Amino acid sequence: MSGTDTPQAEPPFDDEFLAAEYVLHLLDAEARRSFEARLVAEPALREEVHRWEAHFASLAEEVPETAPPARVKAALMAQIDAAPEGPEGVRRIFSAWRMGLGVLAAALVLVAALVLVPILTRPDFSPAYHVDLASADGDLFVAAGLDAEQNLLLIRRDQGAPRPGRALELWLIADGAEAPVSLGVLPDENEIFVTLPAELVQQFAGATLAISDEPEGGSPTGAPNGAVLAAAAVETL
Amino acid sequence: MIARIALRDRRAFAALYDATSAKLFGVCLRVLKNRGEAEDTLQEVFLRIWAKADSYAVTGHSPMTWLITIARNLSIDRLRSRQARMSGQGDGGDLLEQVPDSSPGPEATTIARSEQARMNACMEELPQDRAEAVRGAYLEGDNYQTLAERHGVPLNTMRTWLRRSLQKLKECLTR
Repeated sequence: MSGTDTPQAEPPFDDEFLAAEYVLHLLDAEARRSFEARLVAEPALREEVHRWEAHFASLAEEVPETAPPARVKAALMAQIDAAPEGPEGVRRIFSAWRMGLGVLAAALVLVAALVLVPILTRPDFSPAYHVDLASADGDLFVAAGLDAEQNLLLIRRDQGAPRPGRALELWLIADGAEAPVSLGVLPDENEIFVTLPAELVQQFAGATLAISDEPEGGSPTGAPNGAVLAAAAVETL
Repeated sequence: MIARIALRDRRAFAALYDATSAKLFGVCLRVLKNRGEAEDTLQEVFLRIWAKADSYAVTGHSPMTWLITIARNLSIDRLRSRQARMSGQGDGGDLLEQVPDSSPGPEATTIARSEQARMNACMEELPQDRAEAVRGAYLEGDNYQTLAERHGVPLNTMRTWLRRSLQKLKECLTR
């Protein structure tokens, strides 16, 4: 085949388009290898690749969901159990999280699902921040207080519940932040304590909390997808 | 805290699988068009997610973008190695490993949905056959040869088409 043709009348083609061809896997093996060699050394090129990856990933929206057979999950979970690097991987998610990257929303949903586990014994609690979240129709009322000394967030749902098959997800939008960070899905309990990482606690001053309506288990994308039911600025006490 | 997460992590991983596997399986199937291979690849995808959760942060991608990118890349790797096997000429296997990035460019943190709307609008600005070619390359893993055959144009024409389309897309996306 004529993979070595060098057409004459081509539009000017610089790195950003080379990056697109790379992302599309259109480069031949040799061009691909030399591009990868450059990627290692050139952060700007990597950014270009990531930009195209993000653009093109949108195209996958049209791909229909197809449930894989249950054996895939079974085999996967068995392999996970056998894999020594499991907890290591998790620690890495966690350490990345601790870096305070707002973009980690999905990993956060993942982790936050774990975080919103009620602490069994109720400790002494003196909140430094407080927020009341009420929906416009008054159907939902959630109050939250944060004890910044203990990194403990108290969430009290006084009124309202998720619609059947849906969940209420709590979000932190730090002052000046680009994207909300999920604090997790509200559990069935009306009142719970949640331990937050110090990095999130530090973002409470001047922040806004919000509650959105999401699918069970929380937003699959890590960003709020459903309707925002309530939002309010955090008060410093 | 870390210990708690480590202990419960398996559950979280299972939850992530439940939430995203149907979409990712769809992506694998679209590229590979073979259920057995798609299943193997899906498993590989999640093992990669498990092992490489750390490289997620550095791409600055929205979570779903990251997952889709992994699913598609591994599917195409497999497709290409199948093609190479079938044509009997190993064209140099695929060395793609996620190359970690040092900076999570803030422009990449845009909420996925607006990104999607923008991309769709820009794809619609392309002539239909050109947009089909871009889709074919991304979603089906077509190479220039396959695209040229499918659209009945010479290879070089296809290359020019695609590059012009990429430039138009870029212009549109940065407007």
